[in-house]
Amino acid sequence: MSVEQITGRYLTVDVAGRTQRIYFEEAGQGRPVLCLHTAGSDTRQWRHILNDREITAENRIIAFDMPWHGKSLPPEGFLTEEYLLTTETYMETVLAVVRGLGLDRPVLAGVSMGGRIALQLAVHHPEAFSGFLAIEASDFQPAWYSIDWFHRPDAHGGEMGAALVSTNISPYAPAAERANTLWMFMQSGPGVFRGDLSFYTQDESLVGQLHRIDTARTPVHFIVGAYDFTCTPEDAQRTADQVVGSTLSIMEEVGHFPMSEHPKAFRPFFVDGLAQMPKARAVVS
Amino acid sequence: MIERMKRIQADLDHLPHLHRLGALFSETVQIKVDGQEFYLVFEKGRIAQLLEGPSKKTPYRFSFVTDGAALEEFWTATPKPGFHDIFAMVKIGRAEIMGDILLLVKNLRFFKEVLALPRAQREVAE
Repeated sequence: MSVEQITGRYLTVDVAGRTQRIYFEEAGQGRPVLCLHTAGSDTRQWRHILNDREITAENRIIAFDMPWHGKSLPPEGFLTEEYLLTTETYMETVLAVVRGLGLDRPVLAGVSMGGRIALQLAVHHPEAFSGFLAIEASDFQPAWYSIDWFHRPDAHGGEMGAALVSTNISPYAPAAERANTLWMFMQSGPGVFRGDLSFYTQDESLVGQLHRIDTARTPVHFIVGAYDFTCTPEDAQRTADQVVGSTLSIMEEVGHFPMSEHPKAFRPFFVDGLAQMPKARAVVS
Repeated sequence: MIERMKRIQADLDHLPHLHRLGALFSETVQIKVDGQEFYLVFEKGRIAQLLEGPSKKTPYRFSFVTDGAALEEFWTATPKPGFHDIFAMVKIGRAEIMGDILLLVKNLRFFKEVLALPRAQREVAE
């Protein structure tokens, strides 16, 4: 028998004029590190990092479910609305969590669409963070598929989405973790993966903005898996090249969901990324 | 290659979880390897018939076209990046998927697992 060190609670905040009840998990103490899940999934993707006693000895790891995801319910009135995530709402949600939890310039670690919004925040709101880990992150990824495939009455969008994203899981990933990673997609609410993909595959607003990031004030470190065929190492490199002073690491045996699909292979890269972030509260003049 | 296809057909017969996944999949799929055509006639998640081409008279819903070397790499336990998944193979230019892609995506987990069955055979053998 064992009891994990992760604790979960709810935060209620206003985002873009709507009340959102947001579920978050945390573990550890010290430097705050706010972690963002991928599209169509939730905080459970970060379970291994949250349970890592060495990492949490010096870092307060926090992860939250975006509204409509995991244990964060959709807002009141959702049954008659179409969920479409936007850059503005996404940034505002992350900033609301930072303020709501009283986090003092956390490191922001985002994966996939979470990595995209981390870069957006590095451009538009760097003052709220001490550094950025952009994992499986790029400036823009147009889709070869129709996002409408994943919300239709004659098929299970979650199962279709899981099968699609399995393209991006490494064959080196342990079978159990591969299955767990896919299960979260299968559980995604109707239309939620589609709404996330709308942001991820159609919003080009980051293109041409990355030169504005000042890595002397907020360092940016990219991490990408060789088996990621949504955001390939070439996509991440192209993006990193636009962020002067950023660094990039490639994980040879990992795909698009590193912290969930292959935690053992991801861990050293995450630890290395954290080591490149400011140790504690940085003084910014 | 025909022996590989026959083995997939035989193995699928013994995998009830794939019969459940493919319960609504009764369609014909073309697999084309180095120009050699195979037609997999699925019936409720099983391969009822395995036909060899060439044929211009066999209707099929979608086609997966690749080369033998790519497929052999796909069937290894740990394929190189790009050879580990059918869509990744398309992205690196070693495969094409044509026809009713939405039908494929609706049955994607089933089709991916069926096509990867030789990988599982090797893992057991090793």
